[in-house]
Amino acid sequence: MVGSQLANASNFTLDLAIAVYAVAMLGYALDLMVRGQARVAGMAARGAGREGGEPAGEPVPAEALVAAAAPGGLAGPASAGGMSPADLAAFGAEPAEPSELADLAGGGTDAGPPAGLSPGSPDPAATSRWPGSRWLRRAFALTCAGLVLQLAAMVLRGIAEHRLPWGNMFEFIVAISCAAVLALVGAAVRFRSYYMGLFVLLPVVVALGVDVTIVYTAAGPLVPALQSYWLGVHVTAMIIAMGMFIFGAVVTVLYLLAERSERRAAAAGGAGPGGTGGILALLPRAQALDRLAYRAVLFAFPAWTFGVIAGAIWADHAWGRYWGWDPKETWSFITWVVYASFLHARATAGWRGRRAAVIQLAGFACVLFNLVGINLWVAGLHSYAGLH
Amino acid sequence: MTADQPAPAGQTDAQVRLGLAGWLRWGWRQLTSMRTALVLLFLLALASIPGSLLPQEGINPQAVSQYYAAHPALAPFLGRLSAFNVFGAPWFAAIYLLLFTSLAGCVLPRAFRLARSAGQPPPNAPRHLSRLPHSVRLSTPAGPDEALACASGMLAARRFRTRRGDGWVSAEKGYLHEVGNLVFHIALLGLLASVALGALVGYKGNRLLVAGDTFANSPTGLDVLRPGRLISGGDLQPFSITLDRFTARYVSAGPERGQPAYFGAALRYNTSPGAPMRPYNLQVNHPLIVDGVRVFLIGHGYAPVFKVTDGTGAVVYDQATPFIPLEQAGLTSAGVVKVPDARPEGLGFAGVFLPTAVGVNGRLASAFPAALFPRVSLVSYAGNLGMDGGQPQSVYNLDISRMHQLAVRPVPLAPGQSITLPQGRGKLTFQGYRQWVSLAITYDPGQFPALISAIAALAGLILSFAVRRRRVFIRALQASADDELAAAEPAPHAVVEVAGLTRSDAAGGFEEEFAELVGQLRGALDRVAPASDAPVLVKGE
Repeated sequence: MVGSQLANASNFTLDLAIAVYAVAMLGYALDLMVRGQARVAGMAARGAGREGGEPAGEPVPAEALVAAAAPGGLAGPASAGGMSPADLAAFGAEPAEPSELADLAGGGTDAGPPAGLSPGSPDPAATSRWPGSRWLRRAFALTCAGLVLQLAAMVLRGIAEHRLPWGNMFEFIVAISCAAVLALVGAAVRFRSYYMGLFVLLPVVVALGVDVTIVYTAAGPLVPALQSYWLGVHVTAMIIAMGMFIFGAVVTVLYLLAERSERRAAAAGGAGPGGTGGILALLPRAQALDRLAYRAVLFAFPAWTFGVIAGAIWADHAWGRYWGWDPKETWSFITWVVYASFLHARATAGWRGRRAAVIQLAGFACVLFNLVGINLWVAGLHSYAGLH
Repeated sequence: MTADQPAPAGQTDAQVRLGLAGWLRWGWRQLTSMRTALVLLFLLALASIPGSLLPQEGINPQAVSQYYAAHPALAPFLGRLSAFNVFGAPWFAAIYLLLFTSLAGCVLPRAFRLARSAGQPPPNAPRHLSRLPHSVRLSTPAGPDEALACASGMLAARRFRTRRGDGWVSAEKGYLHEVGNLVFHIALLGLLASVALGALVGYKGNRLLVAGDTFANSPTGLDVLRPGRLISGGDLQPFSITLDRFTARYVSAGPERGQPAYFGAALRYNTSPGAPMRPYNLQVNHPLIVDGVRVFLIGHGYAPVFKVTDGTGAVVYDQATPFIPLEQAGLTSAGVVKVPDARPEGLGFAGVFLPTAVGVNGRLASAFPAALFPRVSLVSYAGNLGMDGGQPQSVYNLDISRMHQLAVRPVPLAPGQSITLPQGRGKLTFQGYRQWVSLAITYDPGQFPALISAIAALAGLILSFAVRRRRVFIRALQASADDELAAAEPAPHAVVEVAGLTRSDAAGGFEEEFAELVGQLRGALDRVAPASDAPVLVKGE
C-alpha cells in the first residue's frame, strides 16, 4: 500500500533528522570548545596587549552598534561610556541593556573572542544576522537541515494518513520537538541566540529518541472524537506554544546557572561577568539570558491562551459545554495561571530574576505533567495518547 | 464620662473611626498589591490540582462512589474538605473572588489614570538627555528653532504625540500598550462574570425520547435536570419537542462495516404550548437552538414494544420500552419490563434486544447496528417487584430478590411472536420496536459573553505585548565656538541631542526604531539645511 510506504519513508526521514540534530550538537560543542580555547588564549594576549596600549578588552558600547546599524551611514568616533542604570530609575524605565547587543554578538564573532569582550571598534561581524564562527555556522546549517527533514517526515506521515499528523502522543511529541527547533532557529535569527543550539537540541534529541523507540505508534486513522477542523486550530496552537515554552525553559536553566556564577563571582570580589570560566563564560550575561527567556514566554503565552480558547470552543461544539474541568483542561488552566504568575513576578520588585525564573520552570513542569502525566495516568475526555 | 466633657469623647470616637478607616485602607492596599495577586495566583493553581487528580462529583459521580468504596477511611475526610467538588468549594471560590477583587482594585484606578493621561501632552524633556538609555548628538547647519520644528514635524508624521518647549521637543507614543494591558485584565473580570451568569441562571438537562413521543421542557418532562442556583422549575423555557423519526445509516461493507455514517432525528418543536410546530432535522454537532436553549443529539437506541396480558386477561402493559445499548458495534441492548400490577402475581422480564440477531457458537449476538433481523430474548420472573416500598428504582434494573424465575422455553422472539407464561399467568407479545434518541439540553446565557471576553482578553494580551510605550526627547542648542563639533564643522548652527526611553519594550526592537528615527531626523535636517559630510557625534560627553 502506498500509505504504508509513505509512513515508512516518514519514519526513515525522522530517524535521519535525529541523526542530523545529533551531528549539529557535535558542531555546537566544537564551537564552544574552540571559543573556550580562544578565550584562554585571548586572556593571555590581553595581558600582553594592555602593555602595548591596545584598547582590547573593552566592551563594545551598544551605542556604537546602534550607529553602525543605522541607515544613512551614521558613524563616528565611538567613545566609551556606559550609562548608569540609576539615572533611568527616575523614569521607570526597563533596565537597559547596554551590553546585551555586544554580548549576543560576541557569541557569533569570528575567531571567537569571548562574549562581551569583542574588540573595541565596531565590528561588522558583530552586527551581522548570521553566526560568525565557522563551527557555529556549520552547526546552525545542520540544525536547519534537521528541521527540514523533520518537517518532511511530518508531511509524509500526514499524507500517509490523510490528516494532520498530530493525533496521538507519538505524533504530538514529534510536532512539539519540531516547534522547539523552530523556536531555536527563529530566536537565533531574530535575537542572534545561536549559542542556544546545543542546549535546546539536547532535550529535543532525547525526546525524539524516546519517542521513536518507546512511544512509537504506527500510522493510522484518527479516532472519531478528533475528526474536526478544530484539531488543526486548537492542537496546532498548543504545539507552537509548547515549542516556545521548551525554548524558554532551556534558556531559563542557563540563566539560573549564569546568575549563580555571576553572584559567586561578585561575592568573590569581582572577577567580572562570566569570569568563573567554563561554558558559562562563553554565554551572554545572565540579564541577556533572562530577557531571551522572557521573550520566548511573551510569544508562547498568547499562543497558549489562544489554544485554550480554541479548545473551549471545540469542547462547546463537541460536548455542549465550553469548560468542564476535565483533567487536561484543569492542567492547561494551571499552566496558564503559573505562566501568568511568571509574567507578573517579572514586573514585581523582589521577584524579578531568580524567583521569577523558578516560577517559569514550575510553569514548564506543568506543561510536561499535562503532556506526560495526564496522558498516561489520569483518565479524562482527552485520552487520545494511543498508548496501551 | 460626663455631660460636660463631650469634646474628648467625640475626639476618641473620631480617632477610632480614623483607625478603622486606616486599617481598611491598609488592607485594601495589601489586597491590591502585586505581591498579593501573585500569592493568590499561586494558590489558585495549587487549589486546582486536587480537582484534576481526585474524581469530581460534577464530572464523574460514579468514580467518586468507587473512591469512597476503595478508601473508606480517607474519603469521608476528603469529602468534608470538598475535595470531590473542588471547583464548587467555598475555599476555591474564596481564592478566585479575592484574586478578582485584587485585580479590580488594581486595574480600575489604572484605567482612570490612563483616561486622564490620554488627554495630556507628553512630559517636559529632561535636562541631560545623554543620561537616557539611548541618546545621540547631531550637528546641523540649521538653526535650533528650525531643527526643532523639523524634528517635531518628523515625529508628528510618525504619529507621535509631541510637545514643544523652550529649546526642546518631547514626544510619546504607544498608549495602546497600557490599553491592551487594561483590556486584558478587564476582560478577565468579564469572563468571571460570564461564568457566574451561566452557573446562576443556566441549566442542563437530559431526556430520552422514543419516536412518536413528545416531551415538554419542564422538571417533570426531563429525566435529569441540573438547574443553576437561581433557577426554579418555572423558569425553564416552555418549548416542547416531538420525535417523529430517527434515521441511522451505517457503513454496510468493507473493513469499516458497522461504523456509523449518519444520524438524524426528524423533530417537530414549538416554543410554547399551543404554538405551531416547526420541523427540524437534529444531527450530531448541529444542535437545535430554541429560545436560547441548545438541544444536542448525544445518543440513540432501540425501544421494543411489548404488550402484556395477565392471568385475568386484562392488558396490564402496552408500551415501547427503551433498552440501553451494551456495545456500539452491533447495538446489543439490555432492558427490563416491569408489570407490578399483574395478577395473580407481579411480572418482570429482563432481556436483550438484538438488532441483527445471529447465532455465534450457540449464543445470540448482534452482527450489525441496524435492525435487519430484530429479535428479543427475555427471562421471565414472577413475584414482588419491590416497587411499593417508596424507594425510587431505576427503570433499567429489575430487583429479583423476591421473585422467582418462570419456566419459559428460551426462544428469541421475532416481532409479533409471544410467550405464554406457565400456570395461567398470562402472555407477553413482542409487537415490534421503535427507536429512541437521547437529548442533552443546555442553557448557558453566559456562553456568548464568555466568548467575547476571551477574545477581548487575547486581543488585549497581544496588544500589550506587541506595542511598546516610548518617549523621544530632542534638545537643540546654538553651537558654541568651543564645541568640538563646531570646531570640526565649517558652519554648524545647532547641536541637536536626541534621546529615547521606553517603559515597556518586552518584545525588543526599540534600539532599531531609535536608530531609524535618528536616521530620519538626519535626513530631514539635511533637507532643511544641506550639510556636506556632517559628522555625528555619538554619545558625546
